[in-house]
Parts: sequence; C-alpha cells; structure tokens
Amino acid sequence: MSCNSSVIRLCASSVGQAPQAPVHLMPCEIEHNGPAQVNQYFTATTKDQKQDKSVSFRGRGLKGQKISCPQGYTGLVLKEINKPGSDQEDRTVKVSSVFDKMTYWNLETPPNSDDTIVMAMDWPDLAEAIHAPVED
Amino acid sequence: FTAVLLAVRFYALCRLVSEIPEVCKTEDCCLGIDEAGRGPVLGPMVYGICFCPLSKKEELKDMKVADSKTLTEAERENLFEKLVEAKSYVGWALQILSPNTISTCMLRRTKYNLNALSHDTAIDLVQYALDSGVQLKEIYVDTVGPADKYEVKLSQRFPGIQVTVRPKADSLFPVVSAASICAKVARDRVVKGWNFAEDLGEVDTDYGSGYPNDPKTKAWLLKYLDPVFGYPQFVRFSWSTAQTLMDSKAVNVHWDDDEEDGEKAAQRQNNKSMLSYFSVSSGGNNQNATHQAHRFFTERRLKSLNTL
Amino acid sequence: MATKKKRTSNVDNDSWVVIAPDSAIDTHKHDGDPVFVRLRNPSTDEPKADAASLYMLGCGDVMLYEVKAFEDDFHSWFVGQAVQRDGRLIFVTPLDPLFLILPYLIKSGKEGKFQRVDQVVKDEEFPACSRLLSCARTLASLHHIAEEKEAGSQMYHRYSQEKTMNWLKKKVERMVIALKKRNISVGEGVKSSTYVRVKSETENQEEDFLRYSHGLISEYISEDLSKALLTLLGLPELTSPKETEPPSKKRKLSDKPVEAGEDYTKFNSADFARKPPKKMTAAQKSLAKVDKTGMKPMSSFFSPKVKAEKK
Repeated sequence: MSCNSSVIRLCASSVGQAPQAPVHLMPCEIEHNGPAQVNQYFTATTKDQKQDKSVSFRGRGLKGQKISCPQGYTGLVLKEINKPGSDQEDRTVKVSSVFDKMTYWNLETPPNSDDTIVMAMDWPDLAEAIHAPVED
Repeated sequence: FTAVLLAVRFYALCRLVSEIPEVCKTEDCCLGIDEAGRGPVLGPMVYGICFCPLSKKEELKDMKVADSKTLTEAERENLFEKLVEAKSYVGWALQILSPNTISTCMLRRTKYNLNALSHDTAIDLVQYALDSGVQLKEIYVDTVGPADKYEVKLSQRFPGIQVTVRPKADSLFPVVSAASICAKVARDRVVKGWNFAEDLGEVDTDYGSGYPNDPKTKAWLLKYLDPVFGYPQFVRFSWSTAQTLMDSKAVNVHWDDDEEDGEKAAQRQNNKSMLSYFSVSSGGNNQNATHQAHRFFTERRLKSLNTL
Repeated sequence: MATKKKRTSNVDNDSWVVIAPDSAIDTHKHDGDPVFVRLRNPSTDEPKADAASLYMLGCGDVMLYEVKAFEDDFHSWFVGQAVQRDGRLIFVTPLDPLFLILPYLIKSGKEGKFQRVDQVVKDEEFPACSRLLSCARTLASLHHIAEEKEAGSQMYHRYSQEKTMNWLKKKVERMVIALKKRNISVGEGVKSSTYVRVKSETENQEEDFLRYSHGLISEYISEDLSKALLTLLGLPELTSPKETEPPSKKRKLSDKPVEAGEDYTKFNSADFARKPPKKMTAAQKSLAKVDKTGMKPMSSFFSPKVKAEKK
C-alpha cells in the first residue's frame, strides 16, 4: 500500500506567474494532448449573440455559453512537472494557467440550466454547507 | 454585385436578389430552378431561380442561354451581364448555402441530407418569388435525385402551378439555363473571393475546381489540413474526401453520437451513464461496486477520485 | 456522424483543469504548499484496498479539502492554445475533518477507553491520516463526536455515539435549510416538473428535503451510522423482505413517500412512524398510474414493492 503514502505537491507560488487562459469545455473527446491553433480556427470563427455563442468544430454545430467559477473559487490548470518513475515517489504539479470564466459547448443543443456542467457548479456552495463547522 | 457577394461568406444562409420586374407581377410567368456547386468538397452550394413572363420565353432563348456547364467562365459572366441588363422582364434570386451550413446540416444528430436541404432551399426561393408578387404559372427544375417524387412534392406544395422536374432541365429549358448561369456565376465569385473566417494569414487560393478528384484540390486539402481542427469552414466536412483525409492525418475526435463508440463507452464507463443504475455489480469499478453515490452527485456527474 | 474509430486510452495525461477555493492557493501564506493526499474514505466500512480517496491539505495542513471530478463522457478541454484530452473538471472543496477522524475513533471506541487521539488516528495504510490532527478544526471540534477528559496537560477522548448522532442530526437539519435556499431539486428521482405528484406538495417536500440531506451526509459516514441517523431522524427505513432489494445505500434513492407532517421533528415519535399510510382516493390511484408511466425515476426499477405498498 505504499502508493498511499506518496503525495502530490501543488507548487502554490506558481499561481503568481500563471497567465490567464481562455478555457473551453468541448462536447467531444479529442485524442490529443498538446498545442492547437485554437485562436486561429476556433475563437476567430465563434459568433456571439448576446450570451449565446455558436461555432463549428469538425463540421459539427456547437452552441455554448460562458460561465463563471463559483464565488470564492479560482480556475486552475495544473501541470505535472518532473514526473517520477515510480508510484512511490512524491509528485509535483504547478499552476500553468488560471481562469475565472469558462465557455462550455453543447453539440447542437442551446445551453440551459439542466446542462450537467451548470448543475455541477452547485457543488462548491453545497459542500460549504455540508462541511461548515457545527455550532455547539 | 461583386460587393454584395463578398459580404455573403459571413452568413450561414444568404440570399441575393434582383429587383422584381413589374411585368412579372402582372403577366403569367415561368420560373427555372438550378443549383451550382453540389459536388465540390470546397465552397458553397448556390441555388438559383430565374423568372420571366411566358410571353418573353423566346427572347430569353434568343439570348442563347445554355447549360452553364457547357459554357466557359467568360461566356457565363457575359450571359449573366445580359440577364442583368434584361431586368425589365427577367428577375432572379440566389440562395447561398455556405460550406459550413452544408457540413453542420449533413452531420447533424438527426441527419439532414443534401437532397432535403436542396429541396427546402428551392421551395424557399419559389415562395420568395410568390411572396414578391410574381405570377407563377410554370416551374421548371433541374434535378439530380429522383425526378418523380420531387415533382409531386413541389406540385403539392405549390398547387395551381405546373411543375416540371427533369434531369438535364438546364439544357432543355432556357429559363433553367438562365438560373444555372446565375447560380454558377455566384458560386464562382464566392469561391474566388472567399475570405477565410479563420485567422490563417495568406491562404493559397489555387484550389482547382473544388471537385475531389482534381489534383489541385487534393493538394490543397493536404496542405491545409490541421491536425486538431481539420479544415477551415471553407471545406465541407461532410464529404468523404475530407473525412478520409482527417481519419488518416488528423487526431481522432469522438462524439457521443458516434454509434459504435458510444455504446462501448457506455458499457465500459457504466458508472457515468444511466446504465449504472441497473448494473451496480457489473463492471470492474471498485468504488461503484461498494458504494452508489447519492443522486446529487450522479446527476451532476461528480465522483470521488483516488488519484490525479 | 457514426465513425467507427476506436478510442485509445489517455495514458500520458499530465494536466488537469481544477476549480479550487481561493484560500487553498493563497500565496501570501507561507505555510508550505498544498498537497494532494490519499486518505481512507469514511463511507467505506471495511478496510479495503479501494477505500482510498483523494483529498487535499492546505495552508500547512490547517485546511482539509475534498477532491471530486465532474466527469461526463466525451469531453475535452481547450486551454489557451492547447488541447487537454482529459475533459474532467476537478473540484476542490472544503471538507469537515471530523468525517475522516470518525472511523478511527469508532474503531478505538470499541475498547471503551479514553485515549490520546494521536494514538487513535494512525493508519499504516494511509500514513497521511495523522496530518488530519493538524487541521485547525479537528481538535477544536472533537467534542462533537467524543467525550473529552483532561489529565495533566493531555487531552483524552472516547467516541460517543450519542454526541456523534446529535452532531450529524444538526448537519442534516442545516442541510435542509441550505438545499431550500439553493433551490436544489430534491424531488423523487427526476425533476418534479416531468411527473405528476401524488401527494400534496408540502407533505412530500419536507420529507424529500430530509431524506435528501440525510443522503448527502451519508456520503461521508459508514452505512451503520447512516442507518442509525435515519432512525434518529424518524425516517422509516425502506424495508422489504425480498433479497432483490438493494442495500440501504441504494434504497435511499427510492424515497418511499410516507405520511409526513410539515414539522419533521414529529418523526421522532415512534408511534408516528407506525401510523398506517393514508388511504388513497380513486383519483389519486389513477394519478399514481400516470405517475409510474410518465416518469422514469430509478426508484421504479429498484423498489416495485414500495409502489405496491401504497395501495
């Protein structure tokens, strides 16, 4: 059970240097980790109509909207540095970028309050309610 | 006209129209429908209607309008100018279906195929002419699909108008030839002047005819393939040529309606789907076997982690 | 587009999109970096290999956080000018350390002695658990779940079921208020707008809220405690003699409607719990039929018996 003894350190000082990055939650799995010309292909072709956004990706129509991080919360993109060779060693992640808003996209369906990601944003607030100290 | 055409690429659906000749509102008219750019993997598809009084059929014939495919580009431009000059009795309207519209329609969850899209566009244009006061009595349509069904569909949609749907109508009826010239000229100009919405800098415009078997088109498709995004919106993603190239040279992308993929994924990740409610003991997910999360979490697709 | 491409596994994932409290990443405090640790998940009763969940300790172990992931199939991220294939959104949220301490105290409480907590909160399998004692709230709030005794300068603790149940009950009651305030849909199974309710709104709602809150708190306690808490709240267990019935953790999804007054504290009366269910009118019965076909809550798949009982 030695793997339970290893920890993942979050290098908090990296937050200061981390740039703001636009983040998009896409309604498809893209088998790729790495660079992409998001600004050139995606952002440049996105159409804004009030809150609602539309764009296409790989020929499919997407509809999206921007949502904010819950109050008191920050969006972080963590990146592992110096990945260790074994699962018994401690790992380190740093903050590579930060965000306070994200855009999520549905395949063809206009964004609405039943979207799972919108509902998931209830969680931090409710977690606070579950876990706040009980008064005597 | 060119200035108007340059503006169209920004709209998914764009209509360009001539003025309605006064005589068309008072005399019985015929109307031809044709399309341009159905086959190419690049650029828009253009639907055109052209109409004139039945009494002017001969004059249209004398213009020597012919099937646009038998004409050179210069001849088409020339004939188009003549049609524009004949504005006292010839009217036209064009509907431009952007390649992005074609892609997103054809790849929709509930498929919307090109024939349906074509028919709907033709119907819209005829309706436009009627709404504009054109006294339509005869409609002539060129078709690639089964003519009979299409003819019935149009006849039912426009009762009282004699509808003739015919393969090669563009070489049989001058008013269809005229429509085909308008459509083809528009398509050529839009393709030539295509302004990429993507931020790609200078783009090589030597795309050839746009037909998949044109070596220039092929070379262009290879050159402008992006591993993540595939192609600019100028390309019709729904064409097998584009699909095949992306399958072999771009990264794989999976959607929830990729049928085979989706089913397998649902089985494998049964804790994420409705299936989880029924098959708690199946599957290799330990957490799932011992503990069914509260529906607050399952409804929100939230689950505990045991590692990053 | 029905493609037939096989999905490969995402083996080389090295980045994550996270939402975390500002306090967890406050760089002005130099109490050491936050760390993700694996600890025993208190909802797992037995020592099992899969009892581990990921948590985070922040501000020099003073704060404890839970780590959950939003994970819906077929998602990826664009982050700046890059693709991150892993489409999960990881939530880091505060966690009451008492929940994680509780299993250790209960275990040692079986010996009936007062003990030092640092002797109790020890786990070979999860060495990081001793760090829970550094959490600001831990020592200050142990009295909610244990009796305390001071000898010399040393504090000794012994698990108290009574105190614990009281503490949990307060949590549940507070949850009811929180859920109402946030308009969380607690109706049976599916959104209430998609089916016709059989019983009056207020009758059902109070119990719905109570059961829902109990269910949420039960995510952090053992099954035994969860059952005991249900009894304390006066909520009848949804029993069935059939083996086909799922265990209680699952059964709580079905939320059999019982007669309930607006004031749920009445449930504490044993008589009340035994009172037979109200007779249904013919109209209600026909509504109940519509109910079953019109909605598709999980409950209908799990507890057909419960439905039958109502008649």
